[in-house]
This record gives sequence, structure tokens and C-alpha cells, in this order.
Amino acid sequence: MRILLATMTLAFAAPALPARGDVYRPTVGQPHPDFVLPAIDDRRPVALSSFRGRKVLLVHFASW
Amino acid sequence: MPVWHERTRQWVEAGRLHLVGVTQEQHPERCQLFAQWRQFDWPILHDPINVLATTAVPIFVALDEHGVVRMIGPRADRFEEDFINRTFDPPDVTADALPAPLTISTGEDIASLQQTAEEKNTAIAWRRYADGLALWQTSDIDRAIDAYTRALELSPDDGAARFRLGVCYRLRHDGTNRQPGDFQEAVDAWSAALALDPNQYIWRRRIQQYGPRLDKPYPFYDWVARAQDEIRERGEEPIALAVEPYGAELAAPSRTFIDESLDEVPPASDGRIARDTQQHVRAEVAVVPARVPAGQSVRVHVTFFPSESGAASWHNESEPLRLWVETPNGWQRHAAEQPLEIESSETRRLDFEVQIPADTQSSLRLNAYALYWTCREADGVCAYLRQDLPIEIRVSE
Repeated sequence: MRILLATMTLAFAAPALPARGDVYRPTVGQPHPDFVLPAIDDRRPVALSSFRGRKVLLVHFASW
Repeated sequence: MPVWHERTRQWVEAGRLHLVGVTQEQHPERCQLFAQWRQFDWPILHDPINVLATTAVPIFVALDEHGVVRMIGPRADRFEEDFINRTFDPPDVTADALPAPLTISTGEDIASLQQTAEEKNTAIAWRRYADGLALWQTSDIDRAIDAYTRALELSPDDGAARFRLGVCYRLRHDGTNRQPGDFQEAVDAWSAALALDPNQYIWRRRIQQYGPRLDKPYPFYDWVARAQDEIRERGEEPIALAVEPYGAELAAPSRTFIDESLDEVPPASDGRIARDTQQHVRAEVAVVPARVPAGQSVRVHVTFFPSESGAASWHNESEPLRLWVETPNGWQRHAAEQPLEIESSETRRLDFEVQIPADTQSSLRLNAYALYWTCREADGVCAYLRQDLPIEIRVSE
């Protein structure tokens, strides 16, 4: 029981980040997980959810 | 990317679509320059530690008004009909069934993340705290390095933490708070991460950016000079770069090793040139990748920091900085071009490649040295100096 409790506590405390071994995997038909990242120009926090109500094309890219 | 920017422009201008970019690049201002050049006028977010855990780019994801994923990698010829012109119903999920956010760390959360890490002392708590610092308090990068290190002590096989630790080391290397060996620490951490998950292409690209041409998928930043010229031709000032791309970052891939000598004759073979014992210039070496099997090649980066103590600067009216590498018989090397900028105390970076013979049995040391003119700030006295640079090539078994 002690072990179970410890496991449960860890599960609740664990972050919502992809766990080790997890990868980014959006699913068609499912809500996209929200995230907050800094803007490249002024480092202001921008949440994906701040675009709710608008259609968005989310583009993961690099300049190279 | 520019193709989709052009293709979607009419819908963006009509307010029917919003583009949001996410880039994992180490240097955000390079992506800013790219956006300026291509005239992207939409927000771009920076995820240098890849906290979203994407495994490759580009990825295009179309989200409806409710934040629901409707298309991944949409087809251009179906996009307007299947997405832009459609009205989507709200998802049939309750708020508590929504997927958990991928990141929650903003500046305000960091104190609580620290508290949690210290109280629980779990790998994931330390990593989360480190993520918060790496994303939101880059001025505190020492603490991020410490926190990732704590996470890895508890969970050594956490590839993501290793990759992110490498990002922080490279970030510190590029800042004023750099510590000797930070670049090699970054390469070591990225290489260890990739060894844990060879299919993680975001991690692989970070190494390839600095790595040898035989392992390159494409040149990474060869577009920068053209972008800067074209931006100036438009009458704008290009976004300033914290670190100008050089050598490996500009090099094109190659299928065969191109052997070139740095110099035919050793420039200081008699060893009589005075050594830079007062460290007018601090030089450090990074070998990319961290380890290499015999028969393959590595890119060796030498970074020169003059006057870190304010003691000396480059003397530019004399011979340029030179680097000489003694390679054992059977080794091949290729030198990158020397930088041409003429300033006084700028960081200079030289890199070259060596190919390790297939019959090499163990790691070994290359002897290299740099020759340069510097002038002391205190009395203006200039001197031609030599610095010996042992280079460890770690050959994997």
C-alpha cells in the first residue's frame, strides 16, 4: 500500500510534459495539448490556447 | 516553409487563418533573420530545448477554432475546401478530459518548480525546474545546468535531459558567463542523448550543425549572407546575430572526404616563437561528434577568446591568425576558411575536419598550435605568440 501511495503521489506530481521516451504526436480529431513558449523576438510568453476561436496552422520548422 | 507562407497569405490577410511557428533552433535570432528575410509576419515561438518533444521538422498541424487537430501535413490542394471553408463543431470532451499541457513553466512558476524539485528530489521534478529556467530565465543558465545535472544523476538514461543540458552548455558558451569547455560539454551531452535515441532528428541535427560534412544532410546556415544582403537591398537593417555562422554551419555535405592541408610547411616548426603564457588569447577546442568510429571523420572547432581579462586584443595589421595541425600518417584533414572580419577583440572561430584511418585502434591526441599577433591593452606592446592546442580525438571501439 505504501508503494502504491508513493506511485500515485508521483503520478499526480509528475509534470504534464511528455514523459521520457514520449514524442510529440498530435492526433487528428483530438484537442491539441496547450503549450506556452517564448516568442523569438521579445521573449513574451505565448500560449497556443490564446489563438482559440481562430483557425491556426501550427508550423514546426527550422530556418535550414 | 516559404511556400506555405505564400500559399496561405490570402487567408491570413482575410483573417480566416493564423499561422503560428515553433522553431527548435539553438540561436533564435537566426530564425528571426530568416523570418525577416522571408517577410513572415506571424508569431514564431522558440523551443530550443525541444520541450514539445518533436522528432523532426517541418510538421504542419491545422487546428480548428476549438483547438482540435483537423489535419497533419495538409495537402495544399485540399486545404481550402477541407479546412478553411469548413465549420467545425466543438469537441465532445469535458474540460477535465482535455490533454495536459505540454509546457506550463513560465517565469512565475519557477520558484514553485524549484521548491518541488528540492522537496521531492525526483529526476522529473529537477528536469521540470531546469526546463523552466532554460526557457524563461536564460540569464540564470548556471542554475539550469545544475538542475539538469541533478536530474541526470537520478535518471542517467533520460535522453531529453541530456539534450537540454547540451543546449544550456552551448547557450553559456555563447554568453559572457562562459566556462572553459562549455562547447565540448554541449557536444558530449548531445552525442550521449542521440546514442540513447538515434531516431530523434532534432537532437541529431544539433550535432550535424557543427559536425563533419560526411554526416551533413544539407548546409545549415548558408542562406544567411544572402538574406542579409537582400534585406539591406530592401533598405532594412538585418536582425543582428549573436554568433555569425561559420565553417561547419555553412559547409555543404560531401560524400567523400576532401583532403586539404592547412599549410604545406609547418609555420613554426622550430618552436622558438614565444608561448602565450599570459593568456592574451584563451583558446578552446570542441570535437564533433564526441566520439567517432575509426574510418569516419570529425569536425574540430577551435574558438579563440582574446582579452577575456581585458588584457589584450588582436593586432590586425600583421599576419592573420593561423592554426597548424600535425596529423599522424594516414590521417586526412580539411581546413575551413579563416574569418575575414577585422575588429579588435572579437571571438574568432576556426574549424577543420580530420578523417580517422579505418585501422585506428584507440583514442589519440593531435598536436595543434595557433599563431597570432596580439597587443597588450596596458602598454600597447604587440607580440607574435604561439599557443599549443592538444586535441583529443575519442575513437569509439
